[in-house]
Amino acid sequence: MPKCTVNGKQIEVKPGTSIIEAFKEAGENIAHYCWHPGLSVAGVCRLCMVEIEGNPRLQIACNTMVQEGMVVSNQSDKVKDAVRWGLDFHLINHPLDCPICDQAGECGLQEQYMEFGKYEPEMAERKVKKRKVVDLGPKVVLDSERCILCSRCVRFTDEVTKTRELGIFNRGDRSEIGTFKDRPLDNNYSLNTVDICPVGALTSRDFRFRQRVWYLKNKETICTGCSTGCNVKAYYNEDGLFRVKPVHNEDINGYWMCDEGRDIYKFANPEFRLKTARKGTQDHWDDINVVEAAKSVGSIVKTSVDTDGAGSVAVVLTGQHSNEEYDAILEWINGDLKVDQVYHWVNNPEKFDDFDGLLLRGDRNPNTKGLLERLDARKLNKTWQDFETKLKAGTVKVVIVVGPENPAVYSDMGEKVQLINGVDKVVWMSACPVGELNTMTGTTWQIPLKTFVEKPGTYVNFQGRAQTVKPVTFLVKQALSVVEAVQLMAGEASKVELVEPEHHPKKNYFVYSRGPL
Amino acid sequence: MEVKILTEHYDKPEFQGLDGYKKHGGYETLAKALKLKPEEIKNQVKEAGLRGRGGAGFPTGVKWGFLPENGETRYLLCNADEGEPGTFKDRLMMERAPHQLIEGMLISAFAIHSPKSYIYIRGEYFESLRIVEKAIKEAYSAGLLGKNILGSGFSHDMDVYSGAGAYICGEETGMISSLEGKKGQPKLKPPFPAIEGYLGKPTIVNNVESLAAVKYIIRDGVQAYRKYGTEKSPGTKLFSVSGNVMKPGTYEVPLGYPLKDLIEVECGGLKPGRKLKAVIPGGSSAPVLTAEEAQRATMDYECLAQMGSMLGSGAVIVIDDSNCMVDLLHVIMHFYHHESCGQCTPCREGTGWLDKIVSGIHAGTGRLQDVQLIEQVSQHMMGRTICALSDAAAMPALSFVEKFREEFEFYVREGRSRVKEVVANA
Repeated sequence: MPKCTVNGKQIEVKPGTSIIEAFKEAGENIAHYCWHPGLSVAGVCRLCMVEIEGNPRLQIACNTMVQEGMVVSNQSDKVKDAVRWGLDFHLINHPLDCPICDQAGECGLQEQYMEFGKYEPEMAERKVKKRKVVDLGPKVVLDSERCILCSRCVRFTDEVTKTRELGIFNRGDRSEIGTFKDRPLDNNYSLNTVDICPVGALTSRDFRFRQRVWYLKNKETICTGCSTGCNVKAYYNEDGLFRVKPVHNEDINGYWMCDEGRDIYKFANPEFRLKTARKGTQDHWDDINVVEAAKSVGSIVKTSVDTDGAGSVAVVLTGQHSNEEYDAILEWINGDLKVDQVYHWVNNPEKFDDFDGLLLRGDRNPNTKGLLERLDARKLNKTWQDFETKLKAGTVKVVIVVGPENPAVYSDMGEKVQLINGVDKVVWMSACPVGELNTMTGTTWQIPLKTFVEKPGTYVNFQGRAQTVKPVTFLVKQALSVVEAVQLMAGEASKVELVEPEHHPKKNYFVYSRGPL
Repeated sequence: MEVKILTEHYDKPEFQGLDGYKKHGGYETLAKALKLKPEEIKNQVKEAGLRGRGGAGFPTGVKWGFLPENGETRYLLCNADEGEPGTFKDRLMMERAPHQLIEGMLISAFAIHSPKSYIYIRGEYFESLRIVEKAIKEAYSAGLLGKNILGSGFSHDMDVYSGAGAYICGEETGMISSLEGKKGQPKLKPPFPAIEGYLGKPTIVNNVESLAAVKYIIRDGVQAYRKYGTEKSPGTKLFSVSGNVMKPGTYEVPLGYPLKDLIEVECGGLKPGRKLKAVIPGGSSAPVLTAEEAQRATMDYECLAQMGSMLGSGAVIVIDDSNCMVDLLHVIMHFYHHESCGQCTPCREGTGWLDKIVSGIHAGTGRLQDVQLIEQVSQHMMGRTICALSDAAAMPALSFVEKFREEFEFYVREGRSRVKEVVANA
């Protein structure tokens, strides 16, 4: 293990560690744009300049490996001068449009300039003007004039997706990122290019101009879009979620996530949610208090078991909920009430084992594995065929469906609703309204559920890796987690407290810290 | 005075074809080399002290020694992308003596165990391309290329690749990228091409003149070769002289030859009535020498380095007192701005910036601080990029301003050229 000294700190690194990685390990700040740990080394931004003892010339830290006994620094005047000028080179043709740039507030160029900038611009000549609002593909928009040609996005499509849609065209300061004719940037990972763009050149068509980033808070959670369980950060404010971005986890998603996964924030937002409990049938529905609804459902289930036996109740579970939620409902249904008719609703079964080679899996449920483990532990192994047979026989009087949190990945929703249509009493728990329930002939309760960002929980991904998350925010007051719903149904109402959605007025934090002008 | 070793038969038109070449001993050295061990050839090239004639002057034999010993396929790449303004000596070699190059390449390929080589010719050299292609065809027909060459058991294939005309494809890694079908952009080093080059395989890139010189080292021996030149810069070198001389052209002289003699004797001196003002001794990227420095300079790697300039590819550009240095720098900066590949920020933005500053001065709209700014920008471009194009732009800019500052300052103050005015009034 080579030892080296970074800005006076002695550290030991793994063989093959680059100086820039050694800086990161030592907790030392080092300017860089083109280097990204998930991509090959390009060495083109020339900002990670360091001075190596005994070497007369400055070297780039990203392409220089640590050698035993190396003494490296980026604190000398020589390095600082080089970085200052390097930044000036980056900025001479860069527009100073920070106030209208979508990346303002999280722009690498702004941050580096605050830290290392020259502050005395000397460029008096005309800037090179490049194209604005270039459609790279259905999800990504390019403002070429802001691009600093770090080539991260090009390397991403070359090395990660291997789709190679992007290239750098032309030469010198006329160079521009672009796509080939008729080959737009259109792959399921295209928005990663926006994440890794250090400036505001590549923007997400979905997020572009919708929020200033300083109005957003963020917390880490996991993506529930499929069984991979990518680690993500959800960005939100009082209006709801605005985007999710990947968080590095080498064992699960590396640095990336798929574009499809990024859409999960949408179903969690209030405008798509079931906001109150409802009771009704066909086209006549009444809004009811969710606590009262859950309590009455609990007594109906208990009465049915007491009167018609455990066989009169059936529960349908999807792989979209947390272990804790499965434990709660199974303990009540199977443990307390001895109901053993528990069925696993598998969406798109024919695509369940698909894999795109990178991250996205055909099983679009975050916790199929957790559910199956729990069903196995309780020896609840009834098949969907059994359920259909029981329904036909008419022995099932009450069906509880813990429906999908994200309805977009359940294309067979209508088919399943039709299957249970005709049962006397149906309890449908879901985060979003299910329009198909308007055809129900029996009495039906809809209980609003919390989404993945509003509850704590553990999810087991396809590898069997359990990941526990905390709530990010609360968006619908009347929504319950399955745990809370079961507590109410089981008569433990005192444990449940409805939470108000978060309110944090939009602040311009800069003005707040500076005071009024 | 001129010493014709490589250029011995260049005045004979038949030397271009295979028969004519053979008449003058062509391919006899190859036959001799194929009887030697590859190691012996490598050692002789090393002992002869042959330094790369493309510009960097790195010892050729040492470069060959960097190849790994693992038996992996290795390629030989002939750098004929002669793009430096002022350089035209490789063109002469390819057009007058293509078989001399092929023979040199075959000997070199045999020495480094390479089964395949490419000659990368710059896109603008249509005639060179045609002549070299024809020569390769002749060599194949005569069994000098292909399987079991001259019954030695050594097989080798050779191909020609025409670049699209980018200066930076003359840099060895840029050339490899271009040959691989990618955009001609230099690659980060390490890994060096000798370890990971064309298609990721070990590759040796040598200049046309270096490869041709290999033949003469093997033919005449190390001592005969070292008889010319200096201790650290042995052998002869082709210089392409252009600018304000009576007889511009390509001249072969021993390394260490006085620059003033090259101008006065070989090139017939300056035009009548003109005074020497400056000389760029190694192509447009080399720092300029003043007339006084040019009087003292000898044409070898050490002397020119000592004077803060370089031998480069041997393109001597002679400037007399009728030339405006702002004019010249304007042209040079425009060239490097146009040719920057755009990868590294200091080069991509710096060459453009320099071009704009110098253009501003040239257009009469310069600011006084621009002269100093040229220096500052240049200093911060030097040594900061993957390849040397950034330096190639910065070095002339720095040296022009340092050595002819008053000319630039006059231009800024008055908005016009002092030199042009003097010439017009003369």
